[in-house]
Amino acid sequence: MEPIRKDELDAHACGSLSPKTKPCPRPKPGEAAGGCSFDGAQITLLPIMDAAHLVHGPIACAGNSWESRGTLSSGPSLSQYGFTTDLNDTGIIFGGEKKLKESIDYIAGRFAPPAIFVYSTCVTALIGEDMDAVCKEAAGRLGLPVIPVNSPGFVGSKNLGNRLAGEALLQYVIGTGEPESGIPLGVNLLGEYNIAGELWDIEKLMNSAGITLMSRITGDARYKEITWAHRAKVNMVVCSRALLGLAKEMESRYGIPYFEGSFYGAKETTYSLRQMAFLLNDREMERCVDRLTEREESRLLQELRPYRKLLKGKKAVLYTGGVKSWSVISALKELGVQVVGVGTNKSTEDDVRRIAGRVGDDTEYIPDGGASRIIKTVRDRKADLMIAGGRNMYVAMKEQIPFVDINQERHRAYAGYEGLLRLAKELTYALANPIWKLAASPPPWDQEVPHDR
Amino acid sequence: MKKDKLVIPDHNTLFATDPYVKQREGKKAFEAPCSEQETAEALAYSKSAEYKDKNFARTSLVVNPHKACQPLGALMAALGFEMTLPFIHGSQGCTAYFRSHLSRHFKEPTPAVSSSMTEDGAVFGGMANLIDGLENSVALYKPAMVAVSTTCMAEVIGDDLQAFISNARQKGAISEELPVPYANTPSFSGSHITGYDAMLKSIISTLYTRSGIEAAPGSGEGTGEKLNIILGFEPYTGNFAEMRKIMAAFDTAYTFLGDHSGNFDSPATGEYSYYYGGTKLDDVPKAAYALGTLSLQKYAVKKTLEYIGGTWRQQTVGLSAPIGITATDRLLEAISELTGLPVPAELTEERGRVVDALTDSHPYLHGKRVALVGDPDLLIGLVQFCLDTGMEPVHIVCSNGDNGFKEEVEALLASSPFGAGATVYIGNDLWHMRSLLIGEPVDLAVGSSHLKFAAKDAGVPLIRVGFPVFDRHHLHRYPLIGYQGALNLLTTIVNTVLEGLDEQASGFNHDLVR
Repeated sequence: MEPIRKDELDAHACGSLSPKTKPCPRPKPGEAAGGCSFDGAQITLLPIMDAAHLVHGPIACAGNSWESRGTLSSGPSLSQYGFTTDLNDTGIIFGGEKKLKESIDYIAGRFAPPAIFVYSTCVTALIGEDMDAVCKEAAGRLGLPVIPVNSPGFVGSKNLGNRLAGEALLQYVIGTGEPESGIPLGVNLLGEYNIAGELWDIEKLMNSAGITLMSRITGDARYKEITWAHRAKVNMVVCSRALLGLAKEMESRYGIPYFEGSFYGAKETTYSLRQMAFLLNDREMERCVDRLTEREESRLLQELRPYRKLLKGKKAVLYTGGVKSWSVISALKELGVQVVGVGTNKSTEDDVRRIAGRVGDDTEYIPDGGASRIIKTVRDRKADLMIAGGRNMYVAMKEQIPFVDINQERHRAYAGYEGLLRLAKELTYALANPIWKLAASPPPWDQEVPHDR
Repeated sequence: MKKDKLVIPDHNTLFATDPYVKQREGKKAFEAPCSEQETAEALAYSKSAEYKDKNFARTSLVVNPHKACQPLGALMAALGFEMTLPFIHGSQGCTAYFRSHLSRHFKEPTPAVSSSMTEDGAVFGGMANLIDGLENSVALYKPAMVAVSTTCMAEVIGDDLQAFISNARQKGAISEELPVPYANTPSFSGSHITGYDAMLKSIISTLYTRSGIEAAPGSGEGTGEKLNIILGFEPYTGNFAEMRKIMAAFDTAYTFLGDHSGNFDSPATGEYSYYYGGTKLDDVPKAAYALGTLSLQKYAVKKTLEYIGGTWRQQTVGLSAPIGITATDRLLEAISELTGLPVPAELTEERGRVVDALTDSHPYLHGKRVALVGDPDLLIGLVQFCLDTGMEPVHIVCSNGDNGFKEEVEALLASSPFGAGATVYIGNDLWHMRSLLIGEPVDLAVGSSHLKFAAKDAGVPLIRVGFPVFDRHHLHRYPLIGYQGALNLLTTIVNTVLEGLDEQASGFNHDLVR
């Protein structure tokens, strides 16, 4: 395996070039843990739907994770297949390179993917498998891109894995293809993974504004479109800063300007669309965007009114593992929901700075993971609801706290104007469901005053 | 708020609407797709006999695995004991996967921590992480026991858990009083059931050794005729309830060695307490006084049973999942033999009722061809259920079964004419199963949620049984074992068959009475 260039990673880890910025934070031993770098790399690359994704390692990494992502496809589904070399003791002792080679050959022959991504894992990295060489040899022989992704779990957090996946794209994919002539050149989206179909809402908006979505990196992507990402006029880094390094490198290599934005909340959405048109340097398009955003915003304002009335002043604790926290805060603010606690254990300092710019002074930061810590904040701040991911969802249920899932298990799209309306409805729904009242009241025979029906 | 306004389109409905359909169509040309003809040809080829042969000739690659890894099982074993914190030594991502996996199945929180090893750990060994991790987690979660298992990473670099844990005690990171059983659970050998076994054995032997108690089978000091019961890697919390019911009917004392039903089926009281239920730690060494130990899984707890039979010198009986009448009869006989008590009349009566239900439904089950996938003990139970009811097992795929398992299932199949058409595959995956389902069609597929894609490709209804079930709610809260379990499984299967008849009805046969 190629050595991990630690100094370089630290320099722009999780996006920042400033030496003072802390890199992707290290997990603390003895706590309920989040995902690893392998998981992070898969989050970034699995949405390339027509590619095959082969996990080189023991059963753990693929066996416990395949098929369970919330990233949606409008066509091919090969990326949902769980391909693994399922290394056993013999593989560990004698090496798994032969098995890997045969597996690559089998996938190429039987599934005919446009490309194969091969992931290293803790084990194959530790036993020193030369994955790069196997992939290179196979690629040459098969005439097919076979891309090594060196992001074993132990190198660190999910964020770092996102970034290492970005590096793999830069090194092996971007710049290897050309778009068909005649296609208007437009914008790449970096770090939007089409969870619950959000990318399709964004795409709809971009279409209405006449902005071409060039390469989706990587929500609902096809391998080929990423090969020509270098021809885009603008890169937008969506929410997570993990792929900022990719945007920066594409700027220096290909001269593509980038900006960071989000589609959570009307203000952010409008800003993002305007920024696209501005960077595309197209006056007509800017006017078109202005018309679109004004129309959408005023319609949204109208439709949101009843929900804002209900949500105004409600207090929420937000725990999304970091990358999304600042952008979701904006959306919640627009709905009148006050964020009284926010998880930062996986956020970079840049993210924390952004969060700080969006929340009030008395908002509590939750630096360490663990359900009890989140619950404590909910109780201390008398929050009305909790917004988090699947691993904390059931704790909220035990505590009878209304809950909205914001991570990959969810089935509703919250991006864009219509997404904000859906989020408003979802929050209202979570608060208004009679189950919370039922859950919070003791059985009638334990009630001191007769139950008021 | 008016009710109608709260209808929120989710991705199932929203993206099926016109604007999105058009958008997808419009985009297609730019996505370098294969032509429709090519796609159709490839799909047809993937369903051919030739393809099936090529698929079965596959040796190196696993496609769509149907097993999880050892530490996932170890985590479940740990959660079977009172106030026990599962601690997984290795890189952190593994623990996150296990927690997600178990939470998605049980719809419950899964408490577990990781020592979160990174490159430093890879280079210098994981001792510092383990010691810090133990200290932090004990301070945070105040467990009565910490059960340490390992991921591949710690195993590959050869971390010496025993030495590390005793160093942690010497350094004062944890107290002498805190039991810290550990198990080596590399995921590059075995599967989740191997890991369950390793951790269970370690917990039992550690608590027994620490107690200083001397095993004396049948002495039952203060505990009467005590029987030990092991359910094993048990995805059904309802099965614990069913066993409790059966044992209450026998009216005898017993100890569950490993009971995670509390942690995976706790009430919403308004206060999350991190630990729920579980076998009392004090009860574990006392279990060495019992008359014998009965396990409802045998392939899943081999080493544990060996330990109990050897060190505790107890009579051990290892069954496989008692699913259906015959297997439940055997369970009750085993309890009766081990305790010397007669089978209670109420259970005999329950048996009669369930037999009655089976006879009501049998015309719809007779001759139904079934494909099965799952863990070894579950499969044996399901095959027995099929043979009981006149269904014909056809394809039996077990990713984590061994040759002994294969022989046992084959012998079981040979005992009935309904088993004549079956083939047992061990070490195969769900992509093999897809070829089987398409090549030799069946009426029903039985297995975990992961089977839903192959079943859909083959156009076969899926009966969700086993682990993991992610896409249906609360099935695990209903027992699968015992007479009640037989009734539950029967109800699911027969109604799936009847549902199919309604779906295919063309008019004259849309019967009201079936």
